[in-house]
Amino acid sequence: MTERHLLLQNDIRQIPQLADFVETIAQESNLDQSMAMTLNLALEEAVTNVIMYAYPKGSQGLVDLEAIVRKDSLVFILSDSGKPFDPTSAPEADISLDVEDRPIGGLGIYMVMNIMDKVEYRRENDRNILTMTKKI
Amino acid sequence: MEIKLTQQENITTAHLIGRLDTPASQEISQNMDELQAAAAKTLILDCSELEYISSSGLRIFLTLRKTAASKGGKIIIKSISPVIRQVFMMTGFLNLFEIQG
Repeated sequence: MTERHLLLQNDIRQIPQLADFVETIAQESNLDQSMAMTLNLALEEAVTNVIMYAYPKGSQGLVDLEAIVRKDSLVFILSDSGKPFDPTSAPEADISLDVEDRPIGGLGIYMVMNIMDKVEYRRENDRNILTMTKKI
Repeated sequence: MEIKLTQQENITTAHLIGRLDTPASQEISQNMDELQAAAAKTLILDCSELEYISSSGLRIFLTLRKTAASKGGKIIIKSISPVIRQVFMMTGFLNLFEIQG
């Protein structure tokens, strides 16, 4: 088991650092291209949500991502000290809607829930803690 | 991320090159006039060199698709890679677009 840690500012321009972080883990764990991409996608969506909405507009805040790399699973623990938000209780996007009725947003969390095998939220010591597990 | 536009009569081809991640999508969505105008006619989104797409990138695709639907235009998605096709499948986007190759 190895652990990796990434600390980001709540600035969307930091997203490429997340991509590098995921790429390193993907290589270490010998993930195929499709798995690496979907994993990156789920994490980008989860991290983007925190960057955009956790802290009041114009204020600085940190986004903390810890990865626990095991032989058969990857566990990502995303935490922030922003306002309470439980993505696991957000309404599910309806992906069967036609063009006209399809809302523009709401896909990010849907993808996190879809790609990860397990997503758990808890609020602890005034922090949002989202634990996402992917079997590999 | 780079978008190269080429025009032939009424058909515009947008060649998407690189990673359409959240920051890239935000930048593009602030400057969409040309793409929106093209979507009202015929717009080909050439994805042969598109490496990655996040939900914010999908939002751009959907915005253009809605413009085409309301203005009588047409969007054709060309040459998506298997990994991006997987994202389209997961989100139901395969049913919203005409996809070639």
